[in-house]
Amino acid sequence: MLVQQVNPLLILLLAALIMLSLMALMPWLFSLSRSRSKAVREEVVELVGCPKCGHEYSRKYERGSYVGKEVGACPRGDGPLVVKAIYVERHEGPE
Amino acid sequence: MNGGSEVVSYLIVLLFLTSLLMNFTDIPQRIQLQRFSSFVRRKLYVLEEMESDARRKAVAYLSAAGIREASKVLDGFVDNFFLIRPVEMEPTDIIKRLRHLIRTRESSVRDYVRRVLGTAERSVQYSVETVLEVVSVLRLLNKLVRHYLELGLKHNNWILVMQLAIQMPEILEIAKAYANSVDAFTSGMPIGDGAGPLVAKMLVGWGEPRREIVEGTDLYEAEVEGRKVYAIKASGPGSNVGWPGEALEKLVGELGGAVDRIITVDAALKLESEETGEVAYGTGAAIGDLGPEKIAIERVAGNYSIPLDAVVVKMSEAEALGPLTKKIHEGVVKAYEVVRRTIVEKVREGGTVIVVGVGNTVGIR
Repeated sequence: MLVQQVNPLLILLLAALIMLSLMALMPWLFSLSRSRSKAVREEVVELVGCPKCGHEYSRKYERGSYVGKEVGACPRGDGPLVVKAIYVERHEGPE
Repeated sequence: MNGGSEVVSYLIVLLFLTSLLMNFTDIPQRIQLQRFSSFVRRKLYVLEEMESDARRKAVAYLSAAGIREASKVLDGFVDNFFLIRPVEMEPTDIIKRLRHLIRTRESSVRDYVRRVLGTAERSVQYSVETVLEVVSVLRLLNKLVRHYLELGLKHNNWILVMQLAIQMPEILEIAKAYANSVDAFTSGMPIGDGAGPLVAKMLVGWGEPRREIVEGTDLYEAEVEGRKVYAIKASGPGSNVGWPGEALEKLVGELGGAVDRIITVDAALKLESEETGEVAYGTGAAIGDLGPEKIAIERVAGNYSIPLDAVVVKMSEAEALGPLTKKIHEGVVKAYEVVRRTIVEKVREGGTVIVVGVGNTVGIR
C-alpha cells in the first residue's frame, strides 16, 4: 500500500543520490583498504666473508662499517675476513 | 499522493537549475580549483615536513662532523650553487662547455665544504656535500610545487592546479626517496645506486685499489681465468660517484688502446612491470650522468674500436637512493655472474678487459 503511494521518480532520485554519495566516498574507502598493509620489520645486516676460501656469514650491521673493511682473520684459512656487503632485510609480520 | 508529486516536481526543477549552473557557468571549474588546490596544499604540508626532517638530520650530521653553525652553513648552500646549462642552439663543443661548468660547480661546492669543514677525511667531505645536495633538492621541489600552486590560483588556472594535483603523488615519491636517502648518507650505508661499484668490488675480490687514476676515482687490477681485468670505481667509502669517463679515457690511453672489451655496470630505473633486482645486459655505456662522462666512454670505445657492453640492475628511484636491500644485493650477485661470464666467453685468454662500476660508492671502500 505504502509502496504504491510513493512516486517511482522519487525512488529513482533517492537511488541516484545514494549512488552519488557512494561515489564521493569511494576514494576514502579505497584509502582505508590500502592503509591496512602488513607491518614490515627492517634489519640491517652485513655479509662478512673470506675472499680466499669463500667462508661467509651474516651479522648485525655495525655503524661505521663499510664494504671492503677488514674485520679480522678467517678462522678456516690464512685469508682476511672482509665485509662483502651491507643490506637491509625486510621481514613481514608483527614488529 | 499529491505530497510525493510535489517533492518530485521540486527536485526536478532543482535538478534542472543545477544542471544549468553546472553546464553554463564557471562554477564547476571554481569548485575543481578549490578541491585540487586544497589537495595540493595538504601534500605541500607533507613535503614541508619532509624538508624540515631532512634539515634536522642534516644539521645534526654536519654538527657531528665538526661544522660550527651548521644551520647557517646549510642555509648558505640550499639556494645557491645552481648550474646554468650551456647554450644548446649551438651544439659545437657543448660537451666541453658542459663538462667545464660541471667541474667548476663541483669545485665551488668542494671549496665551500672545505672552508666550513676544515681538515676532515675526504670520505666525510664527500658525504657532507651529498647531504647538502639532498636538502637542496628537497627545497627546490618544495619551491617548485608552491610556485605552480600560487601561479594557478593567481590566474584562476584550474588546469595548471589540476595537473599539479595529478602529479603530486609522483613528486611526493621522489621527495620521499630523497628524504630517506639522508639516513643512508649520514649513516654511511651503501645505497641501491651502489650496485655498479659493488659489482666492481666483487670482481676484484674486495681488494684494495692499485691507485687513484683520476681525482676521486680508483683503479683496481685482478685476473679472471687468465684474463687481465682492470676495474674502475669511485673512491669510497664516502658518498662519491667519481669521474668514470675521464678515468676510462686515461686508462685506455695508458694501455695504448690494447683493450679487448669494456663493460659498464650501473643501476637502472625499472619499469613498473619489472621486478627489483632484475639484471639485463646490452650494448652501450650504462651511466646516467648529464653527458660528459657518458660521451667520454662512448668516444674512447669508438676511437679504439673496443666493444662496449652494459649490464644493469633494475630498481625504482626510491630504491636507488635508499639503503641497499637484499633484493638488490641478489641482483648485484647476478650482475657479477653476468660480467664474469661475459669476460670468460667474449675475451680471449690473455686478453684485457676494463669493467667500470658506475654509481654512488657510499659505504663501499
